[in-house]
Amino acid sequence: MNEISVQFEAVSKRYPHFVLENIHLKLPTGSIMGFIGANGAGKSTTIRILMGLVHQDSGQVHVLGHPMPAGQAAAKRDIGFVSEDMRLYGPATLAWHMKFVQSMVPNWDAPYAEKLLQRFDLKPQQKIKGLSHGQRVKAALLLALARRPRLLVLDEPTTGLDPIARHEVLGELMAVLADEERTILFSSHNTQDVEQISDQITFIDRGQIVDTDGKEVFLDRWRRLRLQLQPGAALPNLPGIIQVGGSERLPVLTINCFDPAMLSACQRWGATVQAVDSMTLEEIFVANVHSRREQVTA
Amino acid sequence: MNLSIVYRLVLKDWYLQRLSILIALAGGLLGMGVVATGSSASFILGAIALVTVIIAFGANNAIATMVNERKEQTLPFVMSLPISYREYTASKILGHLILFLIPWLLITLGSLAMLWISPDHKHGMIPYVAIMATEMLVGSCLIATVALITESQPWTVACIMVGNVAFNIVGYIVAHIPSIARTLFGATLQWNAASVGILLAEFAAAALMLTLTFVFQARKKDFL
Repeated sequence: MNEISVQFEAVSKRYPHFVLENIHLKLPTGSIMGFIGANGAGKSTTIRILMGLVHQDSGQVHVLGHPMPAGQAAAKRDIGFVSEDMRLYGPATLAWHMKFVQSMVPNWDAPYAEKLLQRFDLKPQQKIKGLSHGQRVKAALLLALARRPRLLVLDEPTTGLDPIARHEVLGELMAVLADEERTILFSSHNTQDVEQISDQITFIDRGQIVDTDGKEVFLDRWRRLRLQLQPGAALPNLPGIIQVGGSERLPVLTINCFDPAMLSACQRWGATVQAVDSMTLEEIFVANVHSRREQVTA
Repeated sequence: MNLSIVYRLVLKDWYLQRLSILIALAGGLLGMGVVATGSSASFILGAIALVTVIIAFGANNAIATMVNERKEQTLPFVMSLPISYREYTASKILGHLILFLIPWLLITLGSLAMLWISPDHKHGMIPYVAIMATEMLVGSCLIATVALITESQPWTVACIMVGNVAFNIVGYIVAHIPSIARTLFGATLQWNAASVGILLAEFAAAALMLTLTFVFQARKKDFL
């Protein structure tokens, strides 16, 4: 994990109605980063800059040691990319696509592609226009994975899939990745998808990185404390309080740097800790984004 | 530039457009057959059919291989492969030109040959036909330039319409240039300064458009 596969330094990109601002991002080699943001948060723009397909206005981007966008052709030899808005050629068969990609990339693994065909239950002679959306996503994944890329970039690959197809795609993707050692950037607005697959998490909102850390670190340091206060008593002065909900007597504190020592601190403050709730990644994401937006508004 | 990558991208476009190539060839051969029957009426009908086939094929090819790449969202797939903008642009221009040039050359050379061997000795028309055939090539390059730079169907369709109008205007103007008009319906082939100059200007215009396409593509900051 010493090497860095993807590095963004102070990257900005300005559009008339959207600004991607001062993005700093590091993706260590071998890690799986979940890139979470609402629709329009800047995930796809960031990924397109990573791929060299959109030029940043300022800042430096290095992918697999290549400066982007100048080194995009060389970098893409080792990048597998699947995005929600990517379509294959409808009138052509999957077999034709496999042959075409094989002719364009250096590391095509034909036996592995055959294995993926079976695992994804795809028929190579079937035309793309005859496939369901779920099958098309699997076909695109097959074409990316069989290239044996050092970096796999998945931009909302499960968007638009029905729950069954989404479950299948994620399950198969996890099975495929279980026996692999490769760096992955997985973007989604669906935190459940990301939570299943990632070990690193980055939140993006309104064109800015909100927070980034290990998934377990996020899950460990975020808690909801349900307290009971004496009438007229003030809230305990705890670090990292992101949100205060509930009522005056029964406040619910959302904390982003939970430490078990906080419980005794609450007791000393005269507050009764009724419960300490773990938070899901979605709850952490929503609280994080709301807190950030409130800070910006204030 | 990796020419092997460009070659494979061109082959890809050829494969995906194979049906329209066959249809254009069949239409072109049919038009030439009509021209070859010998009468004046069939000559005009055949020539109209040939021009229609060439223009329609050039326009369809530009839309199918350039505009539709974005519209049908296959551009992210192609650009996920290890290719640069220059290789992509070169492949589109080459693919389009080669696809256009195959039926264009067959039909143009076929038409010129028909004129050459015709029993009525319509050799005087050869420079005019060459100029108008090259005008179609210029029109096709213009469509390719606009389609590739804008990747927009409305702009490309507007360009096709302008190209068609321009084709008729150029045809009228060239036919009324005195030095060309004098020999147009004659039995002898005569190249003069006006016909050679127009032909060279057409080739220069086509080359300029294709060069500008590379310049504009290189300046693009958002490729998706």
